[in-house]
Amino acid sequence: MNREDLEEHEEGSPVSTKVSRRGFLKAGIGLGAVAGASGLALNLSKGEAQAAERKLPKKWDEEVDVIVVGSGFAGLAAAAESAGKGAKTVILEKMPTYGGNSIINGGVYASWDDEYHLRQKLGLGEDSPKQHKEDTLKGGDFYGIPVLVDVMVSGATDALNWMIDEGGCKIREAVTRAGGHTAYRTHTVVEGVGKGFTEPLRKIAEKRGAKIRLNNKVTWIWRKDTEGPVLGVEVETPKGKKNLRAKKGLVLAAGGFSRNKEMRQAFNPSVVPEYNSTNHPGATGEVLRYAQAIGADALQLAFIQLYPFAEPETGILDTPAVYPFNGVGYGLMYVDKNGKRFVNELERRDVCAQAQIKLGLKPTYSIFNEEMVVKMGGTMDEVNQGTAKGRFIKADSVEEIAQKLNIPAAALKETVRKYNQYLKDGKDPDFNKPITKVMIPLEKGPFYAIAQWPAVHHTMGGMRINPRGQVIDIWGKIIPKLYAAGECTGGVHGSNRLGSNAIPACTAFGRVAGTTVATEKA
Amino acid sequence: MNKTIPLIVILCVIVATPLMGQTKKAGQAPKAGSCLGCHADMAAVLPKDHKPVKGTDITACVGCHKPDLSGKPEANNFSARLHRAHVKPEAKTECALCHVWAPGKPISVKGTKASLGPVSKGTMSLLKAMFVSWAASSYLDAIHDKGNIVCLACHGKTLPEAGDTVENDRCLSCHGPMDTLAARSAPKDFPDRNPHKSHLGDIACTVCHHVHSASKVYCLECHAKFTMKIPEGNS
Repeated sequence: MNREDLEEHEEGSPVSTKVSRRGFLKAGIGLGAVAGASGLALNLSKGEAQAAERKLPKKWDEEVDVIVVGSGFAGLAAAAESAGKGAKTVILEKMPTYGGNSIINGGVYASWDDEYHLRQKLGLGEDSPKQHKEDTLKGGDFYGIPVLVDVMVSGATDALNWMIDEGGCKIREAVTRAGGHTAYRTHTVVEGVGKGFTEPLRKIAEKRGAKIRLNNKVTWIWRKDTEGPVLGVEVETPKGKKNLRAKKGLVLAAGGFSRNKEMRQAFNPSVVPEYNSTNHPGATGEVLRYAQAIGADALQLAFIQLYPFAEPETGILDTPAVYPFNGVGYGLMYVDKNGKRFVNELERRDVCAQAQIKLGLKPTYSIFNEEMVVKMGGTMDEVNQGTAKGRFIKADSVEEIAQKLNIPAAALKETVRKYNQYLKDGKDPDFNKPITKVMIPLEKGPFYAIAQWPAVHHTMGGMRINPRGQVIDIWGKIIPKLYAAGECTGGVHGSNRLGSNAIPACTAFGRVAGTTVATEKA
Repeated sequence: MNKTIPLIVILCVIVATPLMGQTKKAGQAPKAGSCLGCHADMAAVLPKDHKPVKGTDITACVGCHKPDLSGKPEANNFSARLHRAHVKPEAKTECALCHVWAPGKPISVKGTKASLGPVSKGTMSLLKAMFVSWAASSYLDAIHDKGNIVCLACHGKTLPEAGDTVENDRCLSCHGPMDTLAARSAPKDFPDRNPHKSHLGDIACTVCHHVHSASKVYCLECHAKFTMKIPEGNS
């Protein structure tokens, strides 16, 4: 990325770089002159007969100030900010319901602080935005772009408080330490599911005048040439194809591509089709391709995350499946079918997923006890429901857990005995799990177990953006009036996203993009 | 001599009577739009106890049964009963028997000032297809047909066009309110697996309940192992 793009500019609308690459671009791509002269649209997808002839719309069916594509965390946050600044904002959602992956996930949010100062209140140690940034960069193997991580860690607390104060968001009185994090900073909503954040965001956005249109699928992004701004989108609506003009700008918040098996394999052959996915059916990534077709750069598309603890048969990430993630900071343990531990439970998701895959023994299990439940952000109601539904297995003793899971009782008892000893000693010689003083030994029943297995969950790569949420083209130039936020962008999480970093990233970047696009000239 | 005159009169009356009240001569087809094209006489089409009518087409009815364009959700009204009898494929009736229409013009009922429209040629063929589905399919529209609920009860004051949808308040006017509906559909074993009260929040009825095509349980897209059946869908 060029330094020019990252320089501070004066108050007012964003400016593109001063250095003109006009000649370079025209020679390099060769479409500039043609597109301008004959009314054809920019279309870097030669070859396919249907795509080859894309004429710019002669007239627009409708004109709005800001079009947001996608109604998840990033899209709602962007729309809330742009509508709040007085821009007429429309959210286009292709599915028949709103919220995409955002409404169905575990509802966990990493933030160094919150307006209740829960971490401090619960005596859970220190934290800071700097520490959050360091964990995030390290967790992504330093593929993450530091100035982008800054946006997330500096915006996370503000965004959380915003959702609480203006949207009525309610969080549980618990803060957990999740895999790859070195501090207790993960918050949870009372609902225990992403809806607890999307409803507040939707309330804020709609109160400020943004409107969600369901069953509206974007099928192309209009741009005249390699110099000019994006103009609008082509949309498949229930009433047929329409062309919508975006006078101030377009914000792409269309999510990832975990459900698109072709794209997964194209970027990372090891993510084989046999893997289930935790995602909703709409996570198919076509908007990324439309952005690339008009010059957007994309990066790190090979980095595709497996959620290590999905339900083994369907890949669903239901409420019980959040427990293996949330509980590791309080003593929850993973074992395989032989009753043995196989990984440092506080490790990153990719490490936990790969450790299971290497075993080749499906499924593995999380073991925890009742003492841990509330501390780890859970509720007894959830645990009882999950047990009734057969997701959790309940037992009074470790022996009984082994019997119910059909794993060797002697081996499991020995594993638990050693594990409890490690907690007392403050050291885990087997897997080096960091031991903290809030971790609870597996001594008192009742005990619970849950089966788990990796499923495709999050695509870390995507469109290249700058810290203002503007999309960058393949030459490092800002594409005027094009913004992106959330899972469809790349370079924030690097090679591996830390759990509970998604919601703060989407919300912080959504707010930045929405705020900035509203300042564009219509 | 006095006896033959009454006899002749009686004979004339007997011969003349069948021709009275009708303009047809023996062997002539009933006039266009006439019910008698298929029905032996008007008495055959009227319900028992209905007083006799003058006329043999829809104009005979609309003097009393005025077309109701208020768009009220109402079951078993005259329009529903009449359409129900005539739109089944085996009835082989044409809309033009009772309606007046040309492509792009409003559709109206003969003998009345009521009209809906304008209706394009494309929309008309769509409407015809929907009628057939309503009368004879296994979808939700046919289920409503059995309850004598016809188009405007769901679609309101105007005929729908391609891409239109029906908002929740129409469905809920008979099937609601939402809380009552959700209470009825809460499973006994796991009440939170309620299709009408889920983590997706307030969604359109039409997300699952497709009226003119097979319905589909949206929850099952992710929760493949749930036991959830929808009355009119492919189980």
